[in-house]
Amino acid sequence: MGVLTAIFAREARLAWAGGGGAAGPAAFFLAAITLAPLAIGPAADLLAAAGPGILAFAALLSVLQSAERLFGDDFADGTLDLYLLTPTSLAALCLAKVMGQASATLWPLPLIGVLGGLMYGLPPLAALVLGAALLAAIPALALIAGFAGALAAGIKRGGLLIALIATPMMVPVLIFAAGAGRSAFAGDERAVANLLLTLAISLGTVALAPFGIAAAVRGRLG
Amino acid sequence: MTSASLSQTAKPAPAFPALRLDVSELGLSRGDTVLASDLALALGPGEAVLLTGRNGTGKTSLLRALAGFIEPDAGAITLNDEPPAMAAPEAIAWLGHADGLKPGETPRSALRFWADLYGQPRTAIMPALRALEIDHLIDRPAARLSRGQQRRCGLARIVLADRPLWLLDEPAGPLDAEGRACLAALVATHRARGGLVIAATHQPLDWPDARSLDMGRL
Repeated sequence: MGVLTAIFAREARLAWAGGGGAAGPAAFFLAAITLAPLAIGPAADLLAAAGPGILAFAALLSVLQSAERLFGDDFADGTLDLYLLTPTSLAALCLAKVMGQASATLWPLPLIGVLGGLMYGLPPLAALVLGAALLAAIPALALIAGFAGALAAGIKRGGLLIALIATPMMVPVLIFAAGAGRSAFAGDERAVANLLLTLAISLGTVALAPFGIAAAVRGRLG
Repeated sequence: MTSASLSQTAKPAPAFPALRLDVSELGLSRGDTVLASDLALALGPGEAVLLTGRNGTGKTSLLRALAGFIEPDAGAITLNDEPPAMAAPEAIAWLGHADGLKPGETPRSALRFWADLYGQPRTAIMPALRALEIDHLIDRPAARLSRGQQRRCGLARIVLADRPLWLLDEPAGPLDAEGRACLAALVATHRARGGLVIAATHQPLDWPDARSLDMGRL
């Protein structure tokens, strides 16, 4: 097995075995989107209009949830030291690690997004567009959470730092992912543009964030 | 110890290409505390150095500098006349104070992963575990291994890595007498192949002809 495949597979396996896999983020996401309507009130048109925004926002928060453990555990148990001593580039190792964990833990979010969209009264097509936008947003959200997690690795109460670092960086992807759902609901043609912009941010993050994560890891170990 | 020597005699490992570690005029500090200044150290094939000294005298810092994890304040570290960043990744087997094990993971899956990461065949896993006499624990999750057994698992990873320079931080800390004998046998085999060993230790380790460097008296 190649080095990157091995890291991807191990992260996915550990996330399944140790962290309850997808259950944590999924439960958080479900709880958040179930509670929001109770706070907003029963007005159907209001809920449908607010739905895409609430769903995208809740998905963002549920991704942040596991960010502290992503690099914190590897920092504490010495695994990161060993990653530095491989001939493969640290940035590639970090990308494989974050994606391995994301693939095991975040896959329910788009599905719940579609379901939640219907629950909030979006038409089926708009709910599907919102689910697709969440799917497109996952690489960006996971890598930004990973970057913040790497910067805060080994710091006590790193969760606070992670929230402060990651949330501003997640703003663009939140705007476009929610925007895709809102445009689809309103029936205007900007839905596809928003969806593509979400995807573009994710691709840009895949290209850039691993280098930031690698630099953060080196900094934390130095 | 017997199984360690058995597995080695069954399949003698080839010698490492000659490796030299040179440290000159090295300065290390932590915060405002100067840990070492003008430290010199030279190791050739088959040599071993034990770093001793009280807690906080900089043994771990020196090992981390040798591994290239931290930049020394001054001086130079070279492996075969190149800085560690150029020569090191494939040359260094690192055992830190933690063993890199995940609580829910068994030694089997952990060592499979490390074999993949180090580019070693998976057939090398069982001999490494046998050398540490923990082959019967291969399917027990790490959370249910004792500290000493976890350490043996970490040492099995070092054997598996098959790299010439061993940097070991307290390798014998949680080990019992038998474990220390295993470790001594492995170090002897490694040195016979031309490998280098630098270990920080609080326990007396009777490795033949190992030099001693007291970090507290620098």
